[in-house]
Amino acid sequence: MMYLIRRTEEVLMAEYHPADEMRCPMHFCVGQESAPAALSLLVQKNDVMMSHYRSHGYYLGKGGPLPAMVAEFYGKTTGSNGGLAGSMELGSHEQNFCSGAIVGGSMLIPLGTAFAHKYRGTKDISISVFGDGSFDEGITYESMNLAALHKLPLLIICENNKYAANTDIALRLGNPRLLPKVEAMGIPGEVVDGYDLEQLVGVLADAVAAVRSGGGPRYVEVETYRFCAHVGPQPDDYLEYRSTDEIAEWRSKDPLGRLRAQLMADPAASRQVAQIEAEVEQDVAAAVSSAKTAPFPSLEWALGVNWANTYAPIVEGFFREVQPAFRGGQNETRLEPF
Amino acid sequence: MRPSPPPVTRLNFVQAINAALRQSMELDDSIFVYGIGADKKSAIFGSTAGLVQQFGPKRVFDTPISEQGLTAIAAGAAHAGLRPVLVHQRVDFMLYTIDHLVNWIASWRYVSGGRATMPLTIRAIVGKGWGQGPQHSKSLHSWFAHVPGFQVVIPGSPADAKGLLMSSIMSNDPTIFIEFRSLYAMQEEVPDEPYFIRHGQALVRRPGKDLTLVVFGATVSIAMEATEQLEKLGIEVEVIDLRTLAPLDMATVLASVAKTRRLLVAEMGWLKFGAASEIIAAVCEQMGNDLAARPKRVGWPQSFVPTSPALEKAFYPTAENLTEAAKICMADGH
Repeated sequence: MMYLIRRTEEVLMAEYHPADEMRCPMHFCVGQESAPAALSLLVQKNDVMMSHYRSHGYYLGKGGPLPAMVAEFYGKTTGSNGGLAGSMELGSHEQNFCSGAIVGGSMLIPLGTAFAHKYRGTKDISISVFGDGSFDEGITYESMNLAALHKLPLLIICENNKYAANTDIALRLGNPRLLPKVEAMGIPGEVVDGYDLEQLVGVLADAVAAVRSGGGPRYVEVETYRFCAHVGPQPDDYLEYRSTDEIAEWRSKDPLGRLRAQLMADPAASRQVAQIEAEVEQDVAAAVSSAKTAPFPSLEWALGVNWANTYAPIVEGFFREVQPAFRGGQNETRLEPF
Repeated sequence: MRPSPPPVTRLNFVQAINAALRQSMELDDSIFVYGIGADKKSAIFGSTAGLVQQFGPKRVFDTPISEQGLTAIAAGAAHAGLRPVLVHQRVDFMLYTIDHLVNWIASWRYVSGGRATMPLTIRAIVGKGWGQGPQHSKSLHSWFAHVPGFQVVIPGSPADAKGLLMSSIMSNDPTIFIEFRSLYAMQEEVPDEPYFIRHGQALVRRPGKDLTLVVFGATVSIAMEATEQLEKLGIEVEVIDLRTLAPLDMATVLASVAKTRRLLVAEMGWLKFGAASEIIAAVCEQMGNDLAARPKRVGWPQSFVPTSPALEKAFYPTAENLTEAAKICMADGH
């Protein structure tokens, strides 16, 4: 999964500008693949996940189909959102995954779906994924309070990559330590090195199990790093918002590279690695080429999807059968002067 | 065979709201009602009275003062297929949630490519009267109707309040349901059984041939009062209660204006860039050359609602204002 995410991003980044066919802002997640990959091992289809706009990894990790994701970036009918969402609001309705472009928004749906799991008494959980930037937003604290108050089955993941766009966490928060803020809301949590894969999977597995068993919300802060730019395929390090030493240090710890080196040392595993890499290469290329040839949706169709214009079955039945007694819904009572 | 008319009971507006909530919850376990004080004795001006006793604290509950977070619960619960009813004691408090409403809830179905639904209802109450002042008296119906994706409902009478609230709760689209607190004591015969009014179906409250008067919410009752005064002057006014601004039943308005060729629109809100302006613009685009007189609007001046009783009385449109405006419409033109 980590390799799939990494390689998909690399191919898309290489494809983005020369062809100029993906006409939407894209926030790539190179360097941040470990959390979505780890979660992919732990979540079920009926669990609901919502991520921030750096969403590609989480979409794939939640089981979203690759061809539909790439087609979505191309704005095609075969896109996961019919071509209406692009990268920033990418979702997979069938796989219970959604995301959004506005910081703080990824608490929105999971808070309520977690409420629904509890209301219905299911074992499903909801997962909200946001970055450290969300701690700049008031809604984050309000949502955490409500999750704690109602003991909702909500797993809260913060990918702390230290930067909200190009602004360092130390320049944004009076107290840049995040965990105490969450604990103060009544939610237990942990900070984990996102580049230590074994530890990451262990901590997330414990948190998922705790939430699933009805223990209320949990928080996991994943320390990670973004190798690519905040937005777009070109590096933005020329803006000098982070030091070259810092970038080099994180790059040297790249968990994907280390894992690959480890596996390649073993002959059996190395054959598997080669096979996985070949498959991914093929899948990504196929996704891009099918996206390119798929048709664009029509504006007429897009204008028609804003409202469902439907009701629960009981109401449709009423309109059909009972309403005639109400003279077509028009009651003729004269109002008295009021 | 003509079906027999349904049994009715005389209820006031807030009793009708209460009946709508109770009967909806009896019909569907996925409906829950929450808001500040929803399960308390005050019961949001009595509108949620008795619900927690009947349905228990799982389905009727009090909340912290966290409008954004509460709206998030509604959004996610609706996404998961429940039918939440969130109550704000004042529309003004909803401004905390405008990001959730406009950036997320309204566009949710669109962004999903038509796959997702958002069957939530937000009841929001307008504190018209008693010196409620700038931060307790806004209606903002035009704001919500400006954004694609919402249904915007403003009932003008108890029977409509019940039927429209029940259909809003049972609708698969997000609905902003605006109630004027000043109408809560208004009485009307309300059908006893559950019933539903389709959104986007205006009600001709009174037929007339001389002037079309388009109203909704708190301008309905003053329109009916004005109409009686105008009748004595020999002016037959057709009163159209829009009931919902989104969807908007322009067909009924256009059919009426085609007959009367004169149009007056009244709203309990700011006139600038508002609902009345939209209706007049749409009529002019369709049949501007056929009008016998210039159309006219009655509503709020571009200023905040005053708290001083003397100023408040002068600020809000009255039946007399509508009567005068109607006379001007009748005297104008050719």
